Amino acid sequence: MRFVAKRQKEGVNVSDTHPLVEASTLIVGLAAIFAIIAVALIFVVELALYFVSAEDEANLFGDWLPDDLITVAPNDERLYQTQLLVDRLASHWPGAPYTFRVEIDDSEIANAMALPGGLIIVTQGLLNQVESENELAFVLGHELGHFRNRDHIRALGRGIVLSMFFAVVTGNDAAGIGIKAADITLRGFSRRQETRADEFGLGLVHSEYGHVDESWRLFERWNIDGSSFLDLVTYLSTHPETGDRIADMKRHAELERWPVDGEITDLSW
Amino acid sequence: MEGNIEQINLFLNFGLPFLILMIAYFFGSYIEKRHFRSIRKREAELLDFPVVSFDTMPDDWNVSRSDMVTGSIVISLDYFKRVIAGLRGLIGGRIKTYEPLLERARREALLRMSEEARTQGYDAIFNVRLETSRLANARRDGKGVAGVEMLAFGTAVKFASRFANSE
Repeated sequence: MRFVAKRQKEGVNVSDTHPLVEASTLIVGLAAIFAIIAVALIFVVELALYFVSAEDEANLFGDWLPDDLITVAPNDERLYQTQLLVDRLASHWPGAPYTFRVEIDDSEIANAMALPGGLIIVTQGLLNQVESENELAFVLGHELGHFRNRDHIRALGRGIVLSMFFAVVTGNDAAGIGIKAADITLRGFSRRQETRADEFGLGLVHSEYGHVDESWRLFERWNIDGSSFLDLVTYLSTHPETGDRIADMKRHAELERWPVDGEITDLSW
Repeated sequence: MEGNIEQINLFLNFGLPFLILMIAYFFGSYIEKRHFRSIRKREAELLDFPVVSFDTMPDDWNVSRSDMVTGSIVISLDYFKRVIAGLRGLIGGRIKTYEPLLERARREALLRMSEEARTQGYDAIFNVRLETSRLANARRDGKGVAGVEMLAFGTAVKFASRFANSE
């Protein structure tokens, strides 16, 4: 037998596709797929909201509290006063399907949130930073606005959507790109909800005090004062940028002809 | 200021991973190209050295001595290949970024085996086999591949008289 030397044939075992083409196809394609799924799931949540009324929700979650919540003492004066303020504001929302409950979270990070069943949680950090009742009233009115638009359920839906993505791609750091694409899509939706909640909250504050003075003073302070940087970052992660937000609120107050100057009520603690 | 936070966030979320990916691609493809150049050059030098996969020696080989020779290479993924393969793993299909990697491993292992045989004065290798094994885990949870080993082995022979029966 005769040995004939031959060069090895190349390209049989290796695809022709350029690695960068392969990479961009996968990244763009997957980001698009994740964003589409996220939008589709938002519509599913909307559909669920249509079938479950706010009354059903209030019955279902009437005395529910998150397990990991650490509250202040139940005889705390601030808890009593905040609950009173919420009740006063809610009285300007005729036919509200919820009985609002206030809890104060032990956390030093300023934030406020609306949870299913009419539960409003404000953090100690927020109470330490507000300087007048009017400032606090707006934050609470904003949360009431979330209940009115039922954004708190949407937020819950978004949380579920994101954790589903995490479950699918667990242990695959590459797919984090897809999760971020979904997150950004969802955040775009939530900004509009924040603006609507601001407008509703402003309306409640106006009905209660006859003016909207100091409603956005807390945000103006955060905008200028860099010392509470950590608070700002945390608050921003769940709320729109403060600069745009103040401008939007001023525009809305002007449109509705709500006075922006008035008597300021001191905090009662 | 909040505009800056937004930008920093955007950079941390998308810019940084993209930058690392590009750096990994740059180094990975440079090393790969260089390796392929070296493989082609050395294959050309070994062109007249018979390496065959017959499991019995051809009848016309008149052999004076023989020995087992091996060549092995341990090769690792770069971050770019790993990430793209991870994305591919979500939807399935050919993992195209791994193909050139394993191609390099196979040819390099065969080359090392042949070079070893030639250094020891052998004229040819038959019964050549390739084995591969996953080397270790890149992460403590047992997931991720740190690298693969490609092992080539065969029986090297020294001819008493080259292709005695056919020439």
